[in-house]
Amino acid sequence: MSESECLKFTDKTFKKEVLESNLPVFVDFWGSWCPPCKMVEPMMGELANHFDGKIKVGKLNVDQNPQTGSMFSIGGVPTFILFKNGQVLERIIGARSKKQLVEFIENALKSQTSKTSKQPKSQGVERSA
Amino acid sequence: MHNDKCTCWNCPAIDLAGKVDFRACGQSVKQFDKSLDSTQETHIMAECKRRPELGLYDPTAITFQECPEWQETTFGYMLKDMRVMILGIDGYLGWTLALWLGLLGCKVSGVDNYNRRNWVKERGAHTIVPIDRMNERLRAAKEVLGIDIDFRQIDIYTQRQRLKEFIEEVKPESIVHYAENPSPAFSMIDVEHAIEVQKNNVLGTLALLFTMRDTIPETSLLKLGTMGEYGTPLTGRPLFEGIFPADAILQWDGREWSLGGELTPRDPVSFYHVSKVQDTFNVYEACKYWWLRSYDIMQGVIFGVHTDQVAADPRLRTRLDIDEWFGTIINRFVAQAVIGIPLTLYGLGKQIRGFIALRDAMECMTRLICAPPEPGQYAVVNQISGIYSARQLAYTVAKVGKDCFNLPVQIQRVENPRVEADEHPFEAIYEKLPKRYGFEPKVTVEDEITRMFELFLTAEVKKRIEERKQVIMPKTWWSGVKREVERLELMDLKGEIEEDERIRMFKVHR
Repeated sequence: MSESECLKFTDKTFKKEVLESNLPVFVDFWGSWCPPCKMVEPMMGELANHFDGKIKVGKLNVDQNPQTGSMFSIGGVPTFILFKNGQVLERIIGARSKKQLVEFIENALKSQTSKTSKQPKSQGVERSA
Repeated sequence: MHNDKCTCWNCPAIDLAGKVDFRACGQSVKQFDKSLDSTQETHIMAECKRRPELGLYDPTAITFQECPEWQETTFGYMLKDMRVMILGIDGYLGWTLALWLGLLGCKVSGVDNYNRRNWVKERGAHTIVPIDRMNERLRAAKEVLGIDIDFRQIDIYTQRQRLKEFIEEVKPESIVHYAENPSPAFSMIDVEHAIEVQKNNVLGTLALLFTMRDTIPETSLLKLGTMGEYGTPLTGRPLFEGIFPADAILQWDGREWSLGGELTPRDPVSFYHVSKVQDTFNVYEACKYWWLRSYDIMQGVIFGVHTDQVAADPRLRTRLDIDEWFGTIINRFVAQAVIGIPLTLYGLGKQIRGFIALRDAMECMTRLICAPPEPGQYAVVNQISGIYSARQLAYTVAKVGKDCFNLPVQIQRVENPRVEADEHPFEAIYEKLPKRYGFEPKVTVEDEITRMFELFLTAEVKKRIEERKQVIMPKTWWSGVKREVERLELMDLKGEIEEDERIRMFKVHR
């Protein structure tokens, strides 16, 4: 599968494809029942193309894959987490535009030394589970 | 096929009860170890009600294309003998869809409380296309089309237990909810009528949602909304399909937020429209609380008389109303043209709306029945096939009447009894049905208007229009005034249709 596509992660594949990935991985934790998730969904492929070869982009359905969602304490969806070397580099909750997600990823990659999750000034839509 | 990649996750035959913890998202009852072991099986499992021999299996593993229960049809893969229950089956849309689906091989059941017949009768109106009592209609469906329809007379609000028992008996895999009062003007007559509409629509839908939660949570609900819920914002902001896309941005105070996933603003224009907006929220919440799955179908103004099924025999015809309360604009225009009443434009007549022909609406509904939403998904589609102003439609009816039937049709402007903008921008997003569900309109406005003229000019229908011509001109004012509207102008038809009157269609492609 080309890395320019949005990948689909599961509990079974998450460790290998995300945590052990050589590239940073941007993961959209989402739910079928979540309207913001559905609206973000079409942009994930566009993000994969935008960052083609630099990062992997994929999504994980939290209802179908409860172990991973629980492990990363997903408290609302969509939650976006950027992983690098098996670690959480940065995370945000709530729908974002493509432009905002691109900026989020680029900024996170630039400031890799920061391991703590910072909330950006602009909070997006948040849907609790 | 538009739905070939859907999986059992979408399928109403899936049994997820007790097998999927939808609150796994941070609120899970079960806490998993803080480790990921690829050998440990944590993926969800489910059972199939149609294929129990599968046992527990991964509901994302089998697609509609692969499942023998889903069979190819013109409108997508469809469950074999799919059980579809139509609420409001005696109505204009309900009866038409029952015959349409029956001929496609669905097992159709339906309920009705005959409210529509009673409301129309109360107003002193009648359907201009005669329809039989339900027993006769059912008999004709069997005799002419070979369709067995399982019908019960039930009020979904006041007879909730009976509805529940019927649902438990039939176990519908899709429910189409048409059992609502569709009339803005009826809801504005007086307080009693406003209450009647809101009680019937809002409480009926609310009762249905609870019943579905308790009996058939995996069944998809197709609930009819209306494009009128959105109103007509004078800024010209597009009328999105119910929910903002993620790249819709709210800017304020030097900051910005994505509106993605939030319901778009509603601006109802009658107490009927308010009831539909309330329905929207009730369905939205039920999906969120109970993981019901629903399409909220924002249908444009419906028009026409034809499907192959209802035209197969006079006894199979669906009702057709032309009065000020239940007659939609194109249907009313054609009836006026047939008996020589100038077509009535309200105010400037530059109101713009989305429209769809009866036959095309049936296809849209079928395509959506074939592609059930995912668990908990509240999905919205704008169900229209063309966007026209009232003037454009009046011109078109006049032209067809004159050119094809030699009728001297006139157009008049009358006072607008409604509180609405007579002139406004209008851009409706119409993206999902054509792009996601493979729908292409088959019926042009001109063709359907022609069919309507042909039917309305038959002796019996023309006589029935004449008999009730006094209920066509509006007397229901939003202000509460009780008097018939007065003519403002008899319009000159000699000129060409102005530039902005040309029939146009907005589509948004990305």
